[in-house]
Amino acid sequence: MDFDQCRCKTSDAFQTCFCDTLQLTSPSLVLSSFKLCAVPLSRRTFAAEAKKTYSREKPHVNIGTIGHVDHGKTTLTAAITKVLSDAGGANYKKYEDIDNAPEEKARGITINASHVEYTTANRHYAHTDCPGHADYVKNMITGTAQMDGCILVVAATDGQMPQTREHLLLARQIGVEHVVVFINKADAVEDKEMVELVEIEIRELLTEFGYNGENTPVVIGSALCALENREPDLGVNAVMKLLDIVDSYVPLPKRELDKPFLLPIEGVFSIPGRGTVVTGTMERGVIKKGDDTEFVGFSRNFKSVVTGIEMFHKHLDRAEAGDNLGALVRGLKREDVRRGMVMCKPGSIMPHQKVKGQVYILSKEEGGRHKPFISNFMPVMFSLTWDMTCKVTLPSDKEMVMPGEDTSLTLTLRQPMVLEKGQRFTLRDGNKTIGTGLVTDILTATAEDQWWG
Amino acid sequence: MSLPLLFRTIRRDIAKVSVCQHVQSLHTGCQLLAAEKALLMKLRKSTGYTFTNCKKALEKFDNDIAQAETWLHEQAQKEGWIKANKLEGRRAKEGLIGLFIGDKDAVMVEVNCETDFVARNEKFQQLVKDVVFATLAHHQSKGQSKAGYVKSILAGEELSKLSVEGTSLADKVALTIGRLGENMSVKQAVTVGVPAEWQIGSYVHGGVSGQTEVPMGRYGALVVFQGGKEGEQEVLGRKLGQHIVGEAPVSLGNMDDLPCGESETRLLPQTFLGDSSKTVAQFLRGQQARVLDFVRFQCGEKASEEAE
Repeated sequence: MDFDQCRCKTSDAFQTCFCDTLQLTSPSLVLSSFKLCAVPLSRRTFAAEAKKTYSREKPHVNIGTIGHVDHGKTTLTAAITKVLSDAGGANYKKYEDIDNAPEEKARGITINASHVEYTTANRHYAHTDCPGHADYVKNMITGTAQMDGCILVVAATDGQMPQTREHLLLARQIGVEHVVVFINKADAVEDKEMVELVEIEIRELLTEFGYNGENTPVVIGSALCALENREPDLGVNAVMKLLDIVDSYVPLPKRELDKPFLLPIEGVFSIPGRGTVVTGTMERGVIKKGDDTEFVGFSRNFKSVVTGIEMFHKHLDRAEAGDNLGALVRGLKREDVRRGMVMCKPGSIMPHQKVKGQVYILSKEEGGRHKPFISNFMPVMFSLTWDMTCKVTLPSDKEMVMPGEDTSLTLTLRQPMVLEKGQRFTLRDGNKTIGTGLVTDILTATAEDQWWG
Repeated sequence: MSLPLLFRTIRRDIAKVSVCQHVQSLHTGCQLLAAEKALLMKLRKSTGYTFTNCKKALEKFDNDIAQAETWLHEQAQKEGWIKANKLEGRRAKEGLIGLFIGDKDAVMVEVNCETDFVARNEKFQQLVKDVVFATLAHHQSKGQSKAGYVKSILAGEELSKLSVEGTSLADKVALTIGRLGENMSVKQAVTVGVPAEWQIGSYVHGGVSGQTEVPMGRYGALVVFQGGKEGEQEVLGRKLGQHIVGEAPVSLGNMDDLPCGESETRLLPQTFLGDSSKTVAQFLRGQQARVLDFVRFQCGEKASEEAE
């Protein structure tokens, strides 16, 4: 059963890899890559081979477009899929298909966004486009597609708009470090010098907002030309150039596997004659037999060594992010640990009591409260496998928070728990989910925060 | 022997001069172009109009920046209308509520645009301000006897005809549409005038920072009340306004109405937001105050109602 599952995973990975090759290479190459993949599969020594198959998969990057409504974001997205579909890396999506994307529900939250996926020679992209500021912020909080980089679309005919400032402010707010500029509609401008001026101006603005304006890549082209197969220099070639630049300029996000390991504990079992086993799903990293480990949470903290890893009652030498496992720990007593604590690489994570978070408060339609709340509201915070009552403090310029709004909040927990920047959490009150959020800052708890008695 | 030498030096000199001249002419040519470019950049920066129009203007008036600017302003109004007509019908349900409290009178307006990016832009906020003051001027010009309670609700058409500094609001809207390139509309406005012993309380939620004269946000409420402790009336008005924004009552109700649960839509029997142990009526009794009327605006509410 367990091995079968693993095998399934392998063949899935194999299939995706196979499909990727299929899309991008000529038939003869496909055949040879098929052979390459087929041999290890038949051998079925899954552990090592599974890893190999995984490494063949293209790295995934999230990207988005921002810009004025009429500057051709959707046309550019359509053009990208068209150009790549010729190479087999995407399904061509027409302008209307992207534009009329229905509201989607991610974790029960309605977000106006259109998602398109495509594959370049090096990477797999999920491309997000939202109509409004609030939608991008929701997107960031719910984590459906956090943007690693974004394409700022500016029409050569208009140049930047007054609200381009707001677009860049947003990019800063949601933590986009890498911006690539696409100057669209270059076919509609006769004077090439005008395009240059647009470029100079946008570089100045980028610098003003703390981006590296001088070295930001700027591509000049026309998405419409690419769609209509006209003027390849402004059309298809410009889009290809843009994708090449995005490939090289936007760095790969750090893979979960490369991070220090973290296992939120779901359950603790004692096995007579062997010791105590903690179970859970690996959040990130890789764990091996014999690794030093630390337990953190509920004001407890101690170190030990992993003496064995099991998955589906089979022994493993190593387990990685996403694996559901049990770990045997040296000298551990059942009462030492409880659900909600984490097992992690020593020193990699610290408990905290007070954090700042960006939170989206669910509207009534999304199953949230219909009432607003004010400071000193006390919901229960859920994160990883723990939950803990916390006190909400609103930012100084706010007196209340309405359902359907996003806001920054200061949250003080009853006891320090494992929390780090970028960690996601949910707030609940009674039987209702109130909101979902993302830790943006760790604050130091003062004596005043020990108000629980 | 010396003669050819002399010739040679002369020839060399001539060549030098001609080279120099050539270089110079090339240089001045570049400079001219750069100056033109700088002028264009300057005009674009100071006016914010598109490069294409700025260039047109400079060509038309032979690089006279002052004339070019006036022409651009005239042109902008025309182009604003063209753009406004083109964008008409595109859904605009974002925007801002703007509010102004004067002496015994108050104005609250809703102006819509397409995206919240634009709502955050100061040019749009300026438009909201213009609408607020135009409505206020209209209210004051009616000059009705200050004795009674006046509440008038204005809708899109009437509002467009109002004017501020000699320009009609419709023109102002068109100008802003031309600038920001999004459909916009002045959705609704309400003006309130009260007799001397009455008070107007207000609250704006989800506010934009930096607009102190006219607070703006996604929700707004005006509440007309009587009584309250001397000196605490402003805070009381704000608390009541906050409750109205938060709990969205639809009617006033009576002081002795019994509350009927979570879904209560009458203001007075609702549980008070600031103190959940009291109803609004109980809270008002404690403050020796009486609410007479209220108005609540929620940005985009009207627009989505119409869409349905």
